[in-house]
Order: sequence, then C-alpha cells, then structure tokens
Amino acid sequence: MRRIVLRRLAQIIPLVLAVIVLNFVLIHLAPGSLFDVMTSEQQITDPAMLDQLRHTYGVDQPTGVQLAKYIWSVMRLDLGFSYRQNAPVLDVIMDQLPATLILMLAAIAVALVIGMTAGVLASVRVNTIWDNLISLAAVFFFAAPSFWLGIMMVVLFSVKLGWFPVGGMRTIGVNNGVIGDALDVMHHLVLPATALGLFYAATYARVMRASMLEVFRLDFVRTARAKGLSRARVVLVHVMRNALLPIVTLLGLQLGTILGGSVVIESVFSWPGIGSLLFDSVMSRNFPMVLGVLVLGSLLVAVANAAVDLAYLRLDPRIRAR
Amino acid sequence: MSRFSRRDFLMTTAGAALASRLSGPAFAATEAPKRGGTLLATWGGFEPQSLFVPPGGGSSPYFTSTKVIERLVRLTVDLKFEPVLAVDIKPAEDFRSYLIKLREGVTWHDGQPFTADDVVFNVLEYWKPISAGVSLDALDSAEAVDPLTVLLKFKAPVPEFFLKSVLAGKSGLVIPKHIYAGSNIITNPINNTPIGTGPFKVKEWVRGSHVEYLRNEKYWNPSLPYLDRLVIRWWQDPASRSAAFEANQLDIGVFNPVPMPDVPRLTSGGKFIAETKGYSNSAWITTIEFNQRRDIFKKREVRQALMQAIDRQFISDTIFFGRAHPSIGAIPSSNAIFFTKDVQDYPFDPKKAAKMLDGAGYPVKSGSRFGLNLVSAGWFEENVKIGQYLKQAFEDIDITVDLAVPDRATSLKRIYSDYDYDVAVSNNSGSIELIPSTTQYYTTDGIVKGAAFRNATGYSNPKLDEIVAKMAVETDEPKRIALGKDFDRLVALEAPLLPMVDLEPVTIARSDVRNHSTTADFMGESWAELWLDR
Repeated sequence: MRRIVLRRLAQIIPLVLAVIVLNFVLIHLAPGSLFDVMTSEQQITDPAMLDQLRHTYGVDQPTGVQLAKYIWSVMRLDLGFSYRQNAPVLDVIMDQLPATLILMLAAIAVALVIGMTAGVLASVRVNTIWDNLISLAAVFFFAAPSFWLGIMMVVLFSVKLGWFPVGGMRTIGVNNGVIGDALDVMHHLVLPATALGLFYAATYARVMRASMLEVFRLDFVRTARAKGLSRARVVLVHVMRNALLPIVTLLGLQLGTILGGSVVIESVFSWPGIGSLLFDSVMSRNFPMVLGVLVLGSLLVAVANAAVDLAYLRLDPRIRAR
Repeated sequence: MSRFSRRDFLMTTAGAALASRLSGPAFAATEAPKRGGTLLATWGGFEPQSLFVPPGGGSSPYFTSTKVIERLVRLTVDLKFEPVLAVDIKPAEDFRSYLIKLREGVTWHDGQPFTADDVVFNVLEYWKPISAGVSLDALDSAEAVDPLTVLLKFKAPVPEFFLKSVLAGKSGLVIPKHIYAGSNIITNPINNTPIGTGPFKVKEWVRGSHVEYLRNEKYWNPSLPYLDRLVIRWWQDPASRSAAFEANQLDIGVFNPVPMPDVPRLTSGGKFIAETKGYSNSAWITTIEFNQRRDIFKKREVRQALMQAIDRQFISDTIFFGRAHPSIGAIPSSNAIFFTKDVQDYPFDPKKAAKMLDGAGYPVKSGSRFGLNLVSAGWFEENVKIGQYLKQAFEDIDITVDLAVPDRATSLKRIYSDYDYDVAVSNNSGSIELIPSTTQYYTTDGIVKGAAFRNATGYSNPKLDEIVAKMAVETDEPKRIALGKDFDRLVALEAPLLPMVDLEPVTIARSDVRNHSTTADFMGESWAELWLDR
C-alpha cells in the first residue's frame, strides 16, 4: 500500500512540470497576450507607460526566461502574481476554491446516490418498464444541455414556486451563526448541485447497470443464490460490491476534474467558483492564473489517482495479489 | 440660493420628470425621498478584475468603483455640469489656467480630510500619467493655492467644456493621496477595497459573487445617500438575470442586463421599467473600419460603396431587436451638443453600390470583384451575427468575403496590433466631448500601433488633423461646436471608419426604484440620490 502511494506521489513532479510547460506553450501560441488585453481595457497608449507595464508584467523578457522563472517560483511553492486581479494567484484561487469544492462534491454525491440507485434498480428489473424509464431518463439528462436544465429549474423552483434562491451561494448580509450559514449555503446549493449532479448521474446509472448485469451472470452469484441467501443480500453484497470497480474508476477521473468547476452551471447560478475564473483567465490570456489552477489541478489528479488505487485494494483484494 | 439647494432642486425635478413619465401625471411630483433599504443591482456584463482599476479597465470596474470614489464635477442627463467635490471651476481670461474651489468638510472613508493636496496629487501623479493620457497633454502645472483651492496651468488655451468633460469623465476619479503616494498606483492592493469620498463604503467583496457596500455615515451631504446598503451582484448569464428580476432578487440592472426579447415581457406588467436615459456620455456604437494600408480601400468610392451595401436598419431591427438605430455621421445621435444630420448619409442601395464599384475600377470578373478579409471582433454576441450579415451583404454585390470572428484577445491583436484585416467590425463608447475619444479614431496622432480603440485604419488627412487641432484650443463654445460639426461632415464623407449603428442600451429597474438615471453616464453614477419607494 505504501508503495502505491509513493509511486503515485513520485509521478507528481513530472506531471506538474509537463502541465506547466505544455500549457505555457499553448497559451503563448494563442494569438493575443495578457498585455494586449490589459492595456486595451485600460486604454493605455503612451509608449513610455506601455514599456513600464511590459516591465511590470515581466513580458519584456524572452519567453524561455519567463518559463524558467515560473518553474523556479512554483518549485518554491509560489504560484506568482496576477496583475489582472491585482492579487497573488494563490489568494484568488483560495478565495474561490471552497465554493467550487462544495458544489462539485455535492454534485458528485448527488450523482453517485442517484446514479447508483438507478443503475442497480435498472439491472435488477432489467428489460422492464423501470429499466426503460431509467434508461430514458439517463439519456435525457445526459443529452440535455446543463445550462438549459439549470435555467428550467430556476424558472420552475425559484421564479414560479419560490422555493429556492435564483443564484449565489449565500443570502447577502445576513448573519445567522455557523449553523444558520451552513443551512443557508445548503439551501442555495440544492439547484446547482442537482442540475450538475443529474448530468453526471446519467453516466453512473449507465455504467452501474452494465456492470451489474455482467456480474449477475458470474458463477459465484449463482452459488450465492444456491446457498439460499436473500435476494437483497445477493444484490447488495455480492453483485454490487463487485460491480463497483468501474464506478470507482469513473469517480477517480471525475474527482480529478473538480478543480476546474463547471463554467456553465456556475454562470447560470452565479456560483462563485473557479470555473468562471478559469474562463476569464483563458480569455484574457492571464497565464499565471491559468497555470495556477492547472498546477493545483494536477496535484489533485495525482492525489485522486492514489486514492482510487487504494479503494481498488479495499474493494477487490485480488488486485493486491497481482 | 446655496449650492446644496440648487443641487437638491435639480435632483427632485429630475426624479419628478422620471416619475411622471413612468406613472402618469397623477403621480405626485413632490414625493419626498425615503431613507433606508438595500438595493440589489447588477449590470449586463461580468465581474470586474479588481473593484477599482486606476487606468480604466472597462465598464465593470468603472461601475463598482464609482460608488466609492467621486469626481470633481458630474454631467447630468441634460448635459449640465454639477458640482461634486469641486464647488467651482473657473477659467482665467485666456483659458490657460483654471482655479478649482473644493468643497469644505469632505473626508475620506478612513477619516482623513480631503484637501487641495489630494487634487494636486491626482492631477500630476494619477490623471496625467495614467488615466487621462493625451487629454491632459497641455497641462503645465498644478499647485495648491490654499487647502481648498487648486490652480491648474496649461501650455495652451483649454476649452472649458473640454476640461470639465475630462474631470467629469472616466479618467477624473479622485483618489486619496495619503494612501497612494509613494506606491505604484496601478498595483496598489487597496484597489481591491478602494477608499474614496463617495456615498458608499466597500464592506466586502466575495469574488465570483457580489460586492457589498454600506452607507457612508460621514458623507459630505448629510442627507445622502438614501440607501443603507448597496449590493452589486454578477450573473454571467442574461437569462438568469431575468429570472432573478422575476423572483424579486434583483432591483436594477444597467447596460442591457437581460436578453432583448425579455424586455417587453418584463416591462409589460408594470412591475419593471426599461430606461434608455443616462448613456449619452458613454454612447456605444458598432463601427466598420476600412484598412487604409490596402490599395482597394484607399479609394474613397470603394468605402462609400460598401457603406451603401449595408442594410443598417436590418442590423438594428433583427440583430439588436430594435435596441439600436442606424448611425448618421460619426457622432452618436444621443450627443445633443455635437450631433448633426447635415452629413453625407449612406442609405441602403446595393445597386448604386455595385455601380460605384464598377466606376472605381472593380467590375465583376469571373464572379467576383475582389476578395476581402472581414474581422468581426467577437467580444459582443451581436458582432458574430453582424459579421455573418456583412458577409452576405458584400457577397450580394459580388465581393468575396473571408469572415473571421476571433475571441477578445485575438480580435484586439488582429485589429489594433497587427492591422491584420481588410474590413473590421468593432465597438467603442464615446463621450459627449469629441476630443479625444471620438477624434482619435481619425486623426494621424491616433495611430499608435498596439494601442487598442484608436485609429487602426491608418487614415491620415492633414485637413482633418487641422480641424481637430483648432478644436482643441478653441475656447468659444459656439465656434467649437461648429468645428465639431465640420469634423463630422469630413469624416462622414471620407468614411475611413464609420459607426453603422448607435446602440440603445437599456436599464431595467423595478418601478419602486427612484431617481436612478440622473447623470449622463449611468454606469458611473454614485447612486447617492437613488431611493426605494417601499
């Protein structure tokens, strides 16, 4: 087990380096630069001022030097300074990180619960009306654009019924103490987490159903039934546990992406997450910010991968033997 | 009459005019403003990169900073200058110096007094080098005569309207010397929680969500602001803003907050109003630019022919859902001072356009007259559609069009840095004063490679430069306006770059939000006089 963790952690350094170099090159290949965007927004035309800003932003140096400087500062755990936000990159990310984590974790939880339940149900009642309905719902939620789903939910639940707020993460200017605040955030979280969760749930339901059906055909399931175990015990303990591996794989992949947030859901629900920050940063070619998010993201991918490996061990002891 | 009461009088009449238009003449014009309440506001764009961006930074930081930071004067919707931090601005006989009298008893949000030293610091360290740029080129010196008087000296005569426009404009925000002195103004961390003299203080900025302001209890006008609290929130999605209005979670949205087709639906019930006032000092236009570095577009007939091939009424009605109208000349029709109809116009006439191109030496040869690269700047959604429409319109007169609608950064680079286009579609927002915001698109000194929203066509005409140069020093107001109209007539005829349509931005507000459109630049209004009838 320790070997797995160490092996995964050892992958982080080349991974982060590759992420930095690749994205640095990509963003410099894209036409336009942060300097162009900033100076045009600020309507600066004075050549002396332009030179001064070029120096301030560090873009007067050759690209190679800029890259080397960036890598050196990341090695010292410094993600740099974003002139666009006029604040250190890490501070800006940390400001928006909690909101992103809450939204994405809640959405994934919704997806897991709904998706797995639906998948199990569909596989148990395979080829019945239940199975068909669940498959239909899965296709629908997978195909429906999440911004459309989000707006429809807002129109129904916020505008018509008035059950939930239209957007945001907190009721502004109300102080209810810690518990009240948590409830308030949860109240705001329901719609975005559901809108995003239903999209992911569709995948989980399909994967769970297929994987369950495959395990159902295996010999040990027949044995379990022959032993006279109850149907519920066979399904939950014997089939489901073995069917979980693909779900865990999927979950691991998804955990790796949560730092990116969801630009669409965040903009529909005005959720203060990282997705919109990343979008603005790409559009304004604000590479310290883009790289900052990606570097943290790649760390998260490495950690999530290690966690998934550990979960495999726990779910299927045979893996250890190999 | 003291200055206070004159100001209050103007305020009430403006409010009354607004109220009577909204609710009919039965509505009491003498309604007393009510104190208190929280205003939930938004605008039709994104969160700013920083609450205050000293060199400008676009509409979003301008919107958030002007609730906190004030200017010396302001321009009302009926285009009169009113005192804010300055009670009087008086030119000398020769217009080479101005004496500015400041308001007494003004303090910064941190309790420090506001004095002439602050203004001198702003003029020399902030406005001239950073925000106002060429507008203050003629400035020679600024000195504090006494704690409440500043003397500005210029190398050349400076027209009064011009100077006051600079002071009332986007570049005239007054920032505290004791906080900024000795630091780099652009990167000072205070810009994320700005301090000013304004009616609202920043309480908290939750990035990605909202900024909350509280009433400045020590505001220099003790009866203002009427609101207790102001919250500016950002939705990136216009449809969500409509939903927020309908769910009573939004009171006012400036600069096209909701999708255009939603405007009639929201306003039909009487719960919301759509207001188009307050955008004249920041009048948005969509322009077409012809790159003068291409031989084809050096010919005036070609530029004029292409202008005539465009059905601008169609663009207004279909692409902007009627929230725009065809431009006349180079100056937006909302500019009550300089606008004139007496200019070369380009009504839609593709047959005449085709004939003009034939005459200019570009007949149809094997199906095409010539090919052109059309770059439509993709920062507004409408520009995508305008680009597609122009491609069709030009192809109708047998011009081959290669259309590109690049994203913001790429558009800036192609149009303003690399001049990599034949015909471009762009936007700008000009102030009432033509120099420099409008003239710099045409004058030779407006050509600054790499500087956006300037003369990117390379057009250079000594006659035009002369008119603008005269206008810059003409202190007689009627003569100056006549020069402005000469300028308009010349560029409309030459058409190196012309507005196709004037946009008509709209503010959506709940009908119980009062007194909200009183200045000529609504994005920059402090909202001190805004009140809620609840």
